[in-house]
Amino acid sequence: MVKFTHLIPVFPFIAFLINIFFGRKIKKVSALVSILFSTVSFLVSIFTFIGFLNGEGSYVVYRFLSFNNTALDFGVTVDALSCMMLLVVTCVGTLIQVYSIGYMEKDPRFSRFFAYLSLFMTSMLSLIIADNLLMFYMGWEGVGLCSYLLISFWFEKMSAARAGMKAFITTRIGDTGFFIGILLLYFITGSVYFKDLSALDTQNNLFYIAALLIFCGAIGKSAQFPLHTWLPDAMEGPTPVSALIHAATMVAAGVYLVARTYSLFMLNEASLAVVGVIGAITALMAASIATVTNDIKRVLAYSTISQLGLMMLGLGVGGYSAGTFHLMTHAFFKALLFLCAGSVIHGVQTQDLLKMGGLFKKMKATSITFVIAALAIAGVPPFSGFWSKDEILAEALNNGHPVLFSAALLTSLLTSFYMFRLIFLALFGRPRSELHAHESPKVMTIPLGILAFFSIFIGLLGSPFTHHAFQNFIAMPGLHHQEEIAVNYLAMGLSILVAFLGIALSYLFYIRNNKILAESVRAKFKPLYNLISNKYYFDEIYDFLFVKPALRLARISSGFDSGVVDRAVNLAASQTIVLSKIQAWFDRYIVDGLVNLVGIVFQVSSGALRRMQTGLIQNYLLVAFFGIILVIIFKLIGGN
Amino acid sequence: MLNSLIQQLNNSGLPLNSFAQLSFYFIAGLTCLFAFLVVASRNVFHSAVFLALTLLSVSGIYLLLDAQFLAVVQIIIYVGAIMILFVFCIMLTSRISDKAIRQVNQQVLFSLTLALIFLAIFYILIIKSPWLSSGAEIEPLSLKELGRSLFSKYVLPFEVISLVLLAVMVGAIAIGKARKE
Amino acid sequence: MIPQSHFLILSAIIFCIGLFGALTRRNAIGILMSIELMINAANINLVTFNKFLGSPDGLGQVFALFEIALAAAACVVGLTLVISIYRNAKTIFIDKINLMKW
Repeated sequence: MVKFTHLIPVFPFIAFLINIFFGRKIKKVSALVSILFSTVSFLVSIFTFIGFLNGEGSYVVYRFLSFNNTALDFGVTVDALSCMMLLVVTCVGTLIQVYSIGYMEKDPRFSRFFAYLSLFMTSMLSLIIADNLLMFYMGWEGVGLCSYLLISFWFEKMSAARAGMKAFITTRIGDTGFFIGILLLYFITGSVYFKDLSALDTQNNLFYIAALLIFCGAIGKSAQFPLHTWLPDAMEGPTPVSALIHAATMVAAGVYLVARTYSLFMLNEASLAVVGVIGAITALMAASIATVTNDIKRVLAYSTISQLGLMMLGLGVGGYSAGTFHLMTHAFFKALLFLCAGSVIHGVQTQDLLKMGGLFKKMKATSITFVIAALAIAGVPPFSGFWSKDEILAEALNNGHPVLFSAALLTSLLTSFYMFRLIFLALFGRPRSELHAHESPKVMTIPLGILAFFSIFIGLLGSPFTHHAFQNFIAMPGLHHQEEIAVNYLAMGLSILVAFLGIALSYLFYIRNNKILAESVRAKFKPLYNLISNKYYFDEIYDFLFVKPALRLARISSGFDSGVVDRAVNLAASQTIVLSKIQAWFDRYIVDGLVNLVGIVFQVSSGALRRMQTGLIQNYLLVAFFGIILVIIFKLIGGN
Repeated sequence: MLNSLIQQLNNSGLPLNSFAQLSFYFIAGLTCLFAFLVVASRNVFHSAVFLALTLLSVSGIYLLLDAQFLAVVQIIIYVGAIMILFVFCIMLTSRISDKAIRQVNQQVLFSLTLALIFLAIFYILIIKSPWLSSGAEIEPLSLKELGRSLFSKYVLPFEVISLVLLAVMVGAIAIGKARKE
Repeated sequence: MIPQSHFLILSAIIFCIGLFGALTRRNAIGILMSIELMINAANINLVTFNKFLGSPDGLGQVFALFEIALAAAACVVGLTLVISIYRNAKTIFIDKINLMKW
């Protein structure tokens, strides 16, 4: 069953080829092509999963490179982690493509969009099944490219084009670190295979550096502090893209990378600590920004950053299964959130929360699923988010990281607060402007329903009710997770408490005391509010630190160019002009004269010769036969 | 057909050689005559009819050469198929009965001379050449053997020919199709 | 018994008639017909040699068969070209068709 795993990325690639080359011909059918092929990938993923349960494992597909005494094989990793990711990515990806039929319906580049989505699936899936870092890196760059193409899909909008470039360049900074990390790892161990990573046990400090460099890549891709600024801007792309790339799959690739190379991080406590701290900073910072943002998609973008930070935090405190569990549940409910937001935007044609309100009555299906997703992310039991978030909190507490625990707890509070702020502002209360909202078509609401189902129930897989089935399934062999997982009731209780506290707070602010309380709080924490609502001035800081100096350097260089280099060039040019005038004279009268003479000779002679070419085929035939006869006669005479 | 006729005549007591020779010269003479009329007729349609007759006579020659299968193929393909094509083509393209239009070009005399010289060379060569001949009588090739060799030893060229025919069909349709504009 | 050379001479005569036709006819269809005559002359030669030299697998006849098929193919393409030319140039007299000559 596992033998077809390496074909999983091939199917979407076929769809990509069909759509990119024949997209204009087949028009709307391209959506069907993409969906069909990703469904096939999904089915093959299920087979892979079944095969894995039956004990089949990784295998090598073909030898890619062989040099000196080492060789690079392209292989396929089949383990719990990759099986989980394959299922999540193909399932969510297929649903999002179905949803896109409705969302992109009127777009002139409809089939191009689906081609990109398919290419994205290809890259993402090949990244997942990679069994070595090099192949992983190829898929990694592939998703980066697709993310760029899709963010700036509406490139007529200046902001979208800029956002695409920003995303590409920002993640590139991380990728550079990642690539150096791969090279360093190869330099130390002579291998790029994941399976060799788990065999390392030396206390070499270089491993620490390599781990940090690889984490750089994860920071860029997963939009962690300090490279998180691209993700909110990436919301310029179409909403299904935001759902697919910036919620469920691509940003999760960073977390997946850390999980994949987890044994490398485990070599050194310090590198794990870095992961945890970065995650905590990111989670808190993004969650706080989300509380004051008014663009519905940007709220979700910051929420994504924050949740990714939480996953990193989970991984950082040693909760391998907790981090990956949250990765899975998050993929479902965040995709659902984005698709709901897309449906709302599709319905009301605005992204501004302050202009929405009272949509619950007009968009029943969307609103119900939206609320389910919000409950899931806020961590209300028994929705999926509760189990995975609780797992992270418990891990933080059990493994003795009180600071990180409190950061995660605070993040949870903020999460439920801003989520319900969004829900209350958008769906309840009185409409704040003249909007003619309408429910989205079936093709969009059905994926919402399916995702809502997963958002509710997928978490039960890792709950005490199923004896932590997921955790036991995903646990790395040789990790301490083989032992019994204790339910930490303190963490669970606190988690439930903050979830409801957050909901209550936002209810207080946005439903009951509509304005006055909010204003007073805002006034009291004026500096803090300004700091947060300006996104901690990250863009301004980067602008000041990197963009401005780069521009200044460019301006100085340009001055040097025009003042010194250009002048020298101009001098040379004027010299050349004088010289070339002399040459021109020589050319015109002597060289050209000779050439023309040759031309005239040929013209005259060919004028005479062209009479031989009558243009009548029978003439030619006659002459040819005449020649044959001559040849035969000469031959006969010679023979005699 | 002709052979069985010869067989009967043979049984009736006439000398075989003289009859076979007689029929050969008769058919050969007809062939030459028709062939000449093909090139000499002013009317293209008449040419086509004489071509058909020439081809029929050639199939008679094949019979005399013990190549019955080939004779039948000659009639089916040439007289049956190719001639139809010619006739269609003539009807599609030209005003056939227009006698005023000259049918030959200016190089008739030169061409005639050349053709006659060519014929003379052929004649001299054929007469002078010592033709290899296995003195014994050679058994005529049976249709069964012909079929067997066609489908065993020569099966590759046979298939190649079928490919060529396919290509010709496609090409003819592509060239002959009327343009939209 | 008819001597081999008589068949060969017959084929030579037909060939030369065909050659003469191909060289002199103005009508493209006439030229094609003349070419068919020449091909037939060649076929007669093939069958003659097969008969007089003998060949266990009938190479001469097989070859003549192939030749008939190829002649048919050539003829089809030729006639299609003639029709196509007629459609464009409104004539099939090939001394009128000398567009390629400058």
